[in-house]
Order: sequence, then structure tokens, then C-alpha cells
Amino acid sequence: MTELLLRLPTRHGPPTGLGPVPRDVRADHYGPLERLFQTGRAAETAGLGGVLVPHDPLGEESWTVAAGLLRHSRHLRVVAEFHPGFATPVYAAKMAVTLQRFSAQRLGWRPALDGDAAEHAAQGDFLSGPDRYRRADEFLTAAKGVWTRRPFSFEGRFYRVLEGGFDAPLTGWAFPRVYLSGTGEEALELSARHADVHLLGPADDIKAVRAELAGRSARWGRDVELGVELSVLARDDTAEARADAGSDAGPHWEGFAGLGHTLPSGLVGSYDDVAALFDDYARRGVRTFSVEALPALPEAYRLGERLLPALAEQEQARVR
Amino acid sequence: MSVDFYWRIGMHGDQRSLRERAESRGDWAPHVAGSITPALRGGAPDGYAYIEHMADVARAAESAGFYGGLMPSFPFTDDPWAAAAMLARETRTFRFMVAFQPGFLNPVHAARMAATLQRASHGRVVYNVITGGGGPAQLWWGDEVAHDDRYARTQEFLRVHRGVWQERPFDFDGRFYRVEGGALPDALAAQEFPEVYFSGSSPAAIDAAGRHADYYLSWLEPFGALAEKFAAVRAHSAATGRTHRFAVRAEVVARATEEAAWAEVRRGFEAADTAALRAGRSGDSVGAARSRAFLGGPVNGYRDLEVAPNVWGGFGLLRGGPAFGLVGSYQQVAERLDELIALGVDSFILAGVPHLEEAHRVGEEVLPLLRG
Repeated sequence: MTELLLRLPTRHGPPTGLGPVPRDVRADHYGPLERLFQTGRAAETAGLGGVLVPHDPLGEESWTVAAGLLRHSRHLRVVAEFHPGFATPVYAAKMAVTLQRFSAQRLGWRPALDGDAAEHAAQGDFLSGPDRYRRADEFLTAAKGVWTRRPFSFEGRFYRVLEGGFDAPLTGWAFPRVYLSGTGEEALELSARHADVHLLGPADDIKAVRAELAGRSARWGRDVELGVELSVLARDDTAEARADAGSDAGPHWEGFAGLGHTLPSGLVGSYDDVAALFDDYARRGVRTFSVEALPALPEAYRLGERLLPALAEQEQARVR
Repeated sequence: MSVDFYWRIGMHGDQRSLRERAESRGDWAPHVAGSITPALRGGAPDGYAYIEHMADVARAAESAGFYGGLMPSFPFTDDPWAAAAMLARETRTFRFMVAFQPGFLNPVHAARMAATLQRASHGRVVYNVITGGGGPAQLWWGDEVAHDDRYARTQEFLRVHRGVWQERPFDFDGRFYRVEGGALPDALAAQEFPEVYFSGSSPAAIDAAGRHADYYLSWLEPFGALAEKFAAVRAHSAATGRTHRFAVRAEVVARATEEAAWAEVRRGFEAADTAALRAGRSGDSVGAARSRAFLGGPVNGYRDLEVAPNVWGGFGLLRGGPAFGLVGSYQQVAERLDELIALGVDSFILAGVPHLEEAHRVGEEVLPLLRG
């Protein structure tokens, strides 16, 4: 079954007023995160599999947004992207288990390991190179450890725990579904050890990564699913999609940054075109599509009303 | 002068009453007939969770007139940051006093988390900065830093936290944290920095409070001891140039008559295991040691724990949490609270078991009697 996640825009826009004419009765009842929470509701109502709340030092903080989204939905998977340096693994696990308990286990984790040195320094983080992966490995090992075992002790380079581990009723809940990405050796090894889903870019060599991951994860007795992360612009017909993207856009397009997207690469076309391209990925083993489509609220409905049925048709055809 | 009254949200379930120590609200104890376990209906999962009850307590406190509620944090509890973020949008005025140990969070990320929660809640975040009780619980969290160094770390944390929020861009090079060019984005930095309630009874704590706290928060103690503690904090803050407000946490058993209130306590005491009075010394908390010292004498009956009129030190036997609280008629409890206000207390964190019903009772029966 295909999982479709919608990336939420958490960068703040300028505040919008109503102007001098309409009587504004919103007062304190509606705040600056309202649009974001309503976008989550739209994804829920439109039947998408979930949303990704990105880590963005210049945007809203992902855990706080994720908690609100989980509280205001019933089915949506909410994947919070975060920097592993944001908290100790024990504290992160504690926050996560509360969210899991109170959301019927719909939280996902996306540890973010990318970003440049200056950005990290501004966050108080001076680790670089392979150490970032080592810390992420320790972070996930310790978080899973306290989650699943008691007593749990851990002694690593970055973290130590002595006789830790959760007690009932914080025990027995599913660990957050872990999404990781990257094509380097360290990234693939980290995914082999910890990822439930490994996300690739649309132009990555899926076959090669799939083989490499299968070999590495088998050594840990694990199985890692594949996902792609990409932008989407789907319209009633190919011509309309191209017109909205810009006339030069082919079905695979690198120009999404010009439309304000964070993910520059993605797909442009009719719903059937895009569904067929998704199906190409699905045939190569991709199960998760983490999608950026803007503006996110109307696009959530569009994806639910238009793309999901087209995908279901493709899937039926493939199974037949 | 107005005083802020906070209530408490149980992050660890709740009891039906103080008469029997069984957490039958929430999922901390096995489900039996009469358990309030929002999550199970007829024994089957129903899509609800314990947070429904937390939301009910928050709304009860909100409508009863409390300014907000403390959300404590221990190894065995749910997490207050996560719970507050879930409850932000379904309460209106209730302020979320989030208890946390700064050492477990990165100060820059925590600033962004708090500022986003300020935006989600219209500025209803309050900090209860705790620096840890030491002992095995500290190691459970993965923290090996010793007592006074933990306060030094807390100070650095709050310095960086405030710096990236209010002095952008902010550079820092300390023992525990280093930041280059840290800054919240404009929309987050525009949020008000949360009020800081700071706990800790040791000299290291009082020094840290003097530099970073808006409210110096103490457990209830015999009033003379509290007055001395406040004087020490005042003397220290005179040296650092900051003025302080004071806050006190107190359990409350208030009934229409004094007899009814003590009868409630007596029933709980008679069912309790009094050996627990001598237990619980594994940490390095100075506040907990002070509480024990006030209860030095032999304990033959529940009134032996009444160290001053209406001030009872046996609550640790009846439920998890601090030892001291006020027991008496509505009028007596109000008078004791007024005496504390006269000592300089500007804010209270009250609590009563069960939290839902007692929020209404204390809000309706005790708070209106205060004269300030």
C-alpha cells in the first residue's frame, strides 16, 4: 500500500490583516498557527496518509506543530523532522511516547542530518562529518533502548544512560516510524540499522540504493522500505500543469524552487501522468511518497480528490 | 495587588480521593471496575487517551478561575512539553507551566520550541525550571552532572535561551554550551519570553534564581522557615540587582468545616504506610531534606504531622508529590493563604486530589474568601 505524505509549510509568512473594511472579530481566537493546523485537517479529511513537519531553523518548531496536528486528527501520520541535537535521546523518547500514547501511535521521526556548518553553529552544534551519523546512531539506539528495555544502560561517545528505561504505562507503544535519507555510505548504514523508510530524491539511483540497503539491513536482521521525496504539480491536463509550472517544464522538472518549493525536483503533469510516474517508482520498490505541493491546503484536497484515485487505478492495473 | 493562582495537572494519573492511594484515573494501574481510563470502553480501546482527562482538568481549572496549571515531569510521568502542545488549542486562558530540566534540551532548539508554543497558545507558556533531584533518577535521564554543576548548567542554558531570543544574533562560549550567531527568526522572537519559575533550596539554586528567575518557587514549609528562605533570596537578589517575586506550591484539603477537612486527612493517613515517612532519600535535593527535617519528631497520629496550625506535612503518604499542604475549613485555608501573601507570596500553585473536582471546589469556595 502506498503511503502519501504531504510536506507542510512551516516558514512564517508576513501577518495578514483584513484591511479597513471588514469587521475583524477574530481577536485572540485565531493565532498564527491556525492556517497550519487547518492544512493538517485538510490532509486528514482528504484522506492523505500523513504529513511531514520539516525541521527549519527559520520556521515553526516541528515537535510543537506535530503535537497540535496529532491532537486535531484521528488518522493522519505526523512525521516530525528534527535535529538529533535538539534534546537528549531519553528526553526525545519521553516526548515521543507521550505523543504516541495520545495519538494512537501516529507519530513518525525524521532525524535531519543535513545543513551547513554555520546553521549548525547557530544551533549550538559543532559536530561535523561522520560524527553526525555516529551521534544519530547513538541517539536512535539509546532512544529505542529506553523505549523497549528496562533496565537499559548505555555508554557511548555522546550519551550515557544508567539503569534507564520506561515503566508502564509508557511501555508497549510502537516506536515512532523512522524516516531517514541520504546516499552516502554512512547514511545508508544508519538507515540499515534504524530506518523504517529510507527516502530518496527523484533522480537517485533507486535500484542501486535498494540493493545496497537490502544487503546492509539484512546484516541487522531488518527490512527497510523505500520512499521518494519530491515536489508535485498535477492538474486536470498536461498542458495546464505545464502552464502553471512554466512552459519549459517536462514531466521531470528541476524548477520547483522558482515556485517557492523547498524541494527543487519533482513531477509535472496531469493526474494520470503523475500517477503513472508514481507507478514507475512503485514498480522499483518505492512505497512512500513524501510530497511537496503548494499552496499546501488546497493542494491537500487536490491530491486527495484527484491524485489518490488515479494512483488507485494504477495500482489495480499493476496488481492485475 | 493581584495574585496568580495556578492549579496542577496530574501527569501521572490521579486518585479518586486521598483516602486510598490508588491511581484509578488514567492507565497507571490495572483497569478495574470504576477506573476512569479514557482509552478503554468495555475493556476495548476506544480512540481516547489519558490526555482527555488532562484536558478536562485544564478546563475545570480554567473555568474555576485559575490562571494556569503546573505540569510536572518525572521519569514515570507523561511529558509536559508534548502534552501542553497538544492542549494549547483547546483551552483559552489556561497557562501551561511546563516543568523541565534544562540539561535535557539544547537551549537554542528549546527557544524555538517554546516560541512556537507561544504562537500556538497566544503566549500561555510558563517555565518551571527544575534542576533535578540527583540520585538514580538523574542517571535514568542520562545525566551525570553533579548538583552544583547542574545549577551552573541551568544558568548557562537560560543565558543562551534568552540570548537567542532577545539579543539576536547571540554568541556564547561556556562550559556546557557554545553558540555562534544563534537567533530565533523574527516571528518567533516577537513572542514574549515565558515567565520563569525557579525551584531549588540550595545556595547554588538561590544564586541561579537570583540571576534568572521571575519567581522564586518553593514548596510549602512552616511559614517561619519560608520567611527565612525568602529573606535569603531577597538578600542575594539585592546583590545582583534583580527584584524577585515569590511563589509557593501547596496541597489543599479544604472543606466546609475544619472537622470535615481533618477527617479526610485522617482516613488517608490511617490507610497509608507510614514507613514511607522515613524513605526516599536517594537524591541530592536540598528542598526534600528540609521537608524531612521539619518532620523530625515521633509520629503517633496524623496530627503529629501538623507542624503549624493548618500546615500538615504528611501529604507524601497520601499521594505522590511534596510533603506539605494546608488542611482546614474554607475560611482557615483562605486565612493561611492570606498570611502567605503577607509574607510576600505573589503566586501559588495549589493542588487537591482529585484534581478535577477539587479545582472547582477550591476555585469556588476558597479563592473568593481571600482578602489579599
